[in-house]
Amino acid sequence: MIWFGFGFNAFGQIYSYASSGKESTSDEDVEVKVIAPVRLSSCCPDGEKRLQLVGASWSRTAFLQCAGDSSVCLSGFWSDPPSRKAHSCFPQSYGCWDAQVSERYLTLAFKDRTECWSLDEIDSMPVWRMKHAPENTELSDRLPLVPGGYVVSAPPFMHVLSPHLCGVSLALGMEHAVLLSASGTVYTWGSSSHGQLGHGELGREVEPRVVEGLWGMTMKGVAAGGWHSVCISGEGDLYTWGWNESGQLGLPSHTIGRGTLQGGTAAGTESDRKEVFISIQAFPALLDLPEEAEVTRVSCGSRHTAALTGAGDLFTWGWGEYGQLGHKTTQTLDQPTRVDFFADRSLRVVDVVCGPWNTFVCTEEKDSTPQIPP
Amino acid sequence: MSGTVAHIYPELQVVFPGSEAEFPLQFGEKVEPSIVSVLKLARKQLYSSAEPSLLAQNAQVIVDFAWEKLNTGTWRDVDKEWRRVYSYGCLFKAASLCWGEASEAAGQEAIRSCDMGLLMGAAIMDNILQTVVGILHGKFRKRCPEEEDSNEGPDMKRLRTERAFAPEVGAETAVPRMQCPSLESFGSLFLAPRKPVILQGVIDHWPACKDHRWSIDYLRRTAGCRTVPVELGSRYTDEEWSQSLITVNEFIDRYITGTVEGGPVGYLAQHQLFDQIPELKEDIRIPDYCCLGEGEEDDITINAWFGPAGTVSPLHQDPQQNFLAQVVGRKYIRLYSPEDSEKLYPHQSHLLHNTSQVDVERPDVDRFPEFAKAPYQECVLEPGEVLFIPVQHWHYVRALDLSFSVSFWWS
Repeated sequence: MIWFGFGFNAFGQIYSYASSGKESTSDEDVEVKVIAPVRLSSCCPDGEKRLQLVGASWSRTAFLQCAGDSSVCLSGFWSDPPSRKAHSCFPQSYGCWDAQVSERYLTLAFKDRTECWSLDEIDSMPVWRMKHAPENTELSDRLPLVPGGYVVSAPPFMHVLSPHLCGVSLALGMEHAVLLSASGTVYTWGSSSHGQLGHGELGREVEPRVVEGLWGMTMKGVAAGGWHSVCISGEGDLYTWGWNESGQLGLPSHTIGRGTLQGGTAAGTESDRKEVFISIQAFPALLDLPEEAEVTRVSCGSRHTAALTGAGDLFTWGWGEYGQLGHKTTQTLDQPTRVDFFADRSLRVVDVVCGPWNTFVCTEEKDSTPQIPP
Repeated sequence: MSGTVAHIYPELQVVFPGSEAEFPLQFGEKVEPSIVSVLKLARKQLYSSAEPSLLAQNAQVIVDFAWEKLNTGTWRDVDKEWRRVYSYGCLFKAASLCWGEASEAAGQEAIRSCDMGLLMGAAIMDNILQTVVGILHGKFRKRCPEEEDSNEGPDMKRLRTERAFAPEVGAETAVPRMQCPSLESFGSLFLAPRKPVILQGVIDHWPACKDHRWSIDYLRRTAGCRTVPVELGSRYTDEEWSQSLITVNEFIDRYITGTVEGGPVGYLAQHQLFDQIPELKEDIRIPDYCCLGEGEEDDITINAWFGPAGTVSPLHQDPQQNFLAQVVGRKYIRLYSPEDSEKLYPHQSHLLHNTSQVDVERPDVDRFPEFAKAPYQECVLEPGEVLFIPVQHWHYVRALDLSFSVSFWWS
């Protein structure tokens, strides 16, 4: 299991020269845009097999070290004093089994409790804590879900969810939430300013509301970007909705077509264009990957999307300005595009976690016959 | 021309504080330490002789980060601190573009960066972006590439011949006209009883109507490189309506002098252009009649309305008194009293409740049967005239020619 990262690295959250052994302490000696995947250096001397990346905020990456006494390591911005650190273990995290990081807080899930710790000033006490009843000791809820509700990274932290929803997976966008229930139904709530709730309206929903456009289908995974939403059906089909500002839905985006638009009449009549470009998709839209590949996992950055296929290929699309698509460019793409880096090296991608402006993937060697890239 | 460069940076340095320590970077609680560290790094790069590319990169990080904050929640609810962060990003970006020998293209991009900060950000450091853009504009305006061919382009006069259909205005519905009434008679005859009137001879002395006569050429020269918000789509109630940020030159090229057949109508509407470009403000004057109001002169909102024939503002009402000064072209205007609001079928939604659902010149009589019973006044506002629209009075506006109007909202 080898983790790779690419995209926004202004805080050294993917790699820094310091961690790669080169002497450097200057603020400026960091590669802000990592456009080709780089291997993440190991967190602990024991080796990287036990390293699990659990999340990334804009300036930090959080790893769960699963061996022995499990704990959380953070890479990237350190606020007191402002600096960059590679793989600093968070001492209060010993014994936790899941973690989530934001610009201000680190949320830690333990068997008997969930805690939020301020990252601005490390205190001896968490800023928020909840104890779990003994019957909840089964480790079923992945963060941000907790028994009885979910945790967000701003006071008052805890939000209650009705137990009738039977939520198994929750994804949070900038101002919306996407919940997958045990039966495969998708609920959304929050703001639909850019259609990200998928109800066909641009209003607000205070309570979780079923996404009716997905009615009759069983879903098995959900993800939320800044202003877009993605889910995977039981058959491995991908549905996207919300803001397509940078092509993050995988649908034709105005931003990318702008070059041709300026060509004036040559680009066709205005009525043609309206059909071609999609800015806001207020209902779920089926998105086909090349060769109708079956999707197994999906994750979203603020304005990009990354999906894994059953064959172990990684596809990315959307905003690419910081190299977060992994195609060795800073191009923004409105079509799902395979990241050749891994296929070229006979690596099977088995997990993907997006930070807001970067992407992290876990890979393993393809055991069988070497594949020749097309 | 594109090869020309300018040594602009020394002029900008005079505007910046003398040292890194004097350059303020104070933000409220909301702004996380991580983004503040990038702001501080950019400041350090601004004062060191480091590679401008590093400053440019950090400036873009700040702009991109703040842009996401500006797009989260409704515009009204966006914390001012994030708009300040955005302005800093735009300032650092402009500075990085002007480093060393700034090319024509870099200069234009720096101007655009300042304008983006002025349009979407909040004022920082005594409105330093306004100062910087003034310097840049002074340096680069003479080089605006568009300007060279503009002599061959059509001028306002030629465009004005392409007139749209002007409705016949009936004697009984016509808004009365008055030549320069005294403050007292305007106050007692129109302001107090809230009656619309067209004032003549009130803006004849404006430079915009005399020696700085607003023409396409003049606007290109004074404001061509500046980025402005433009409404696309014939009326703001349309589903396809959108906004875009383009330069005045681009706006003129795409929507005034050259238009795409069947393409959307572009309208530089309801924009406080005169705050953005003080030079244009010199060309206009606040009508004396505004002193009859209770507000301060600084509280008067001055908006520019510049667009081709055919732009439409659907029937709506505003919460302030309005003087609509017609500088170029003609506009057909229909007025309804607020007493007749219920016959005008305002939209139900909170956002549009000040806008009527009725298409005034092609009303759907089945859906809106009462509309025909509402009494109204109308006029074709000619260049040089000023229409007084009393507070809350419903108005519908359609440009008959290429048109430039200035509105003054006052209380």
